[in-house]
Amino acid sequence: MESATAILLSRLDFAWVASMHFLYPPLTIGLALLLFFAEWRWMRTDDEAWYRLTRFFEKLFIINFGAGVATGVTMEMAFGILYGPFSQAAGPYFGNVLGYETITAFMYEAGFIGLMIFGWGKISRGMHLFATFNVMLSSTLSAFWIMNANSWMQTPSGVELRNGIFHVTDWSKAIFNPSFLSSFAHMWVAAVELALFFVIGVCAWQLLKRRHEGIFAKPLKYALVAAAVVAPLQVYLGDDLGQVIGEHQPAALAAMEGHYHTYNKDGSVNTGWHIVAWPDAAAGDNRWAITIPHALSLIETHTLDGKVMGLDQLPAENRPPVWVPFYGFRVMVAIGFFLMLVAFYGAWLIYKRRLTAPYTGASRWFLRVAVFSGFLPFLAIWTGWWTREVARQPWLVDGMMRVEDGVSRMTVLEATIWLVGFMIFELVVWYFTWYFMAKVIRHGPDLEAPVLRGGHESLGHLEAEPEDDRAHPAYERP
Amino acid sequence: MMPTDISDLRLFVIYAWWFALGFSLLLYIMLDGADLGAGVFSLFVRDPDARGGVMAAMAGTWDANETWLVVAGGVLFGTFPLVYGSAFHYLLVPLVIVLWSIMMRAIALEFRHHANRSTQLWDGLFGVASLTTLFFAGMAMGAVLEGYPLTSGPVPTYAGGMWRFVSPFSVWTGIGAVIAASLAGSLFVRARFERTEDIRKQAAVWVDRSFYASLVAVVVTVVWSLLKFPWAAEKWLGPYVWAWALVAVAVVYTVFRMRRSSRLGRDLFAILWLNAAIAIMWLAMMVTMLPWLVPNTWTIYAAASPSVSLVTFTMAMGGFLPVMLVYNWYQIWVFRARISKLTGYGH
Repeated sequence: MESATAILLSRLDFAWVASMHFLYPPLTIGLALLLFFAEWRWMRTDDEAWYRLTRFFEKLFIINFGAGVATGVTMEMAFGILYGPFSQAAGPYFGNVLGYETITAFMYEAGFIGLMIFGWGKISRGMHLFATFNVMLSSTLSAFWIMNANSWMQTPSGVELRNGIFHVTDWSKAIFNPSFLSSFAHMWVAAVELALFFVIGVCAWQLLKRRHEGIFAKPLKYALVAAAVVAPLQVYLGDDLGQVIGEHQPAALAAMEGHYHTYNKDGSVNTGWHIVAWPDAAAGDNRWAITIPHALSLIETHTLDGKVMGLDQLPAENRPPVWVPFYGFRVMVAIGFFLMLVAFYGAWLIYKRRLTAPYTGASRWFLRVAVFSGFLPFLAIWTGWWTREVARQPWLVDGMMRVEDGVSRMTVLEATIWLVGFMIFELVVWYFTWYFMAKVIRHGPDLEAPVLRGGHESLGHLEAEPEDDRAHPAYERP
Repeated sequence: MMPTDISDLRLFVIYAWWFALGFSLLLYIMLDGADLGAGVFSLFVRDPDARGGVMAAMAGTWDANETWLVVAGGVLFGTFPLVYGSAFHYLLVPLVIVLWSIMMRAIALEFRHHANRSTQLWDGLFGVASLTTLFFAGMAMGAVLEGYPLTSGPVPTYAGGMWRFVSPFSVWTGIGAVIAASLAGSLFVRARFERTEDIRKQAAVWVDRSFYASLVAVVVTVVWSLLKFPWAAEKWLGPYVWAWALVAVAVVYTVFRMRRSSRLGRDLFAILWLNAAIAIMWLAMMVTMLPWLVPNTWTIYAAASPSVSLVTFTMAMGGFLPVMLVYNWYQIWVFRARISKLTGYGH
């Protein structure tokens, strides 16, 4: 009993630090891309509005990035602390990949972010744009490796379990495991979509308050048009990932869909898709459900009567829990479709030239919805991630290592200390991160400061002799 | 001690990664040690603007410095997963406190200049979190030197309680880390502020005191290790005692040069000499511990991942590490200018 509670707590411990970290990196990844775009427009057009916009969103970016680093260091250590035996066993692949992430992405990013933040006026415009570009590329690389490590846990391949250790037999098979490319694409586009709706939300709020129209009207339109392309693309990629899960992780798919029975009582294939349901693990069935016939087969197999494996094909101890994947998946999908409609409607307003000042009537209502939509992607990535992780249970490495074999043997006390401590500290981080972001948004862009067109540090001398206190370059505050 | 059933190539790769791990940790200690020490120093600075100045002084570089810790973690996980998975469980409590502290320190550094009313809070958090990071990281280091028990079985994992890391020695190494970082931090403050700033005078007093305290700390640690750890005594007093004596002479020389540079006001050179002393002592400690990665617990051969390969090592060390070093340096170069407290945060 003690041990079952401790294992559950250890899972919650990790889920908590992962979820609280996951609030920040997607925005970093997506916003870096948009910042690069804005700064590039400024380079090309020399339009001050793009400059102000870049500097404004960069402030938000920095706050968010700081929180990402603050919560991210924990993640790297958490594997060893909470999942010591797993880290030892899976180290030869999983640890290697995380090592690549630190070296090729994390460190790379940290190097350029300092230049991006503090380099204004110190380095040339071209060099600064190059720094922004590298921040964008490195954050994408980071997602590449992290998604790689995670998708390997979902669909492990290229390894062999000998004497309790995962030996890598084929690196390219392990890296390009079946779910990797679909998962990475879905996650990366999610980050871009999240950042687009974040920008849409911020711009819409400014316009609602009738502030800085000259700066925020244009990016709102750009972001909406981009979202009208990205949102449906994300739906397509989600469907693609669903196919992969259906093929390689049928148990996870069955849990996501609350699909208990492969066949109906009369022996025909169970094709029904539940809109809502009340899953009951003990009974091995839904207590009740609202079901659309044929929809499940259509979604998963793209045929009317295709067979989809149900949970009844698995022994009870190998069945994932259903509640979290079932509803997590539905919330994510609902948000995805809602955001797509928002983007389409916004694009239509732009096409009709109605999304312009003074923003009355329909366009005013649209701006309100747009502000609300800025928050939704955060919930969507959370629920999506919870779906992914819980649907893999009871496995840590799908089909190869169970959670109870990979978890550190912590006592209930240890696991509780972790949970309570990280709850306090990470809620503090979250509160202040969003508090200061809100403050920067309320304050608006800085229109007074001179435009820093780029400077050149003389790269000539080391420290001069003490008597000779030559003019040192002025320190630009961020 | 060295296993015979291991190929030369694998042996080479293991040593190469062992060196890379030590190198990353060394860089972390040299770079972030100064930032953390400056944080401890800032607790004793009365003037809020000067405290903000200390934070501004590291604003452009602190996160890049900290990432060396993450790199070390990555190398440890990737190359020595058996140590990563067991040592981190052993070090649960100190590591968790270090993680909480790093988190609080990071947001204090980020938010200080967005704050109007709450600057006091962030200053205090920054200072205290720097102190706890140092103390508990130092304690973790000492605890690693003492080793830990393992379960039997094909994949031995940590078999012990959460408080096992506490011992007189580990408490001492925690204190030692704070003392040594205070020296690095006050030298950093001396180097980063305009020569006319008052804070440099206060830092000079700190340099003096922490210099003597560090000398005592190093001697105490060496003598204690000699008495406590047979693996250290065997090495130091073994057939190569003359080589270890040379190491000691080299350390004394670098410390002397550091002291002189600092007295002459050549702050950058004082830092470089200090780092030279740290590097020599660190490398000497790494060699002393061989073949152990964790004394009496894991040898580097037993702890190495079966999939360490020359290809990945060459990629990482030949490709990425030099690039990282170059931009780390470039960044430090761009932000080398001395600052005054008023050009820092908030003004």
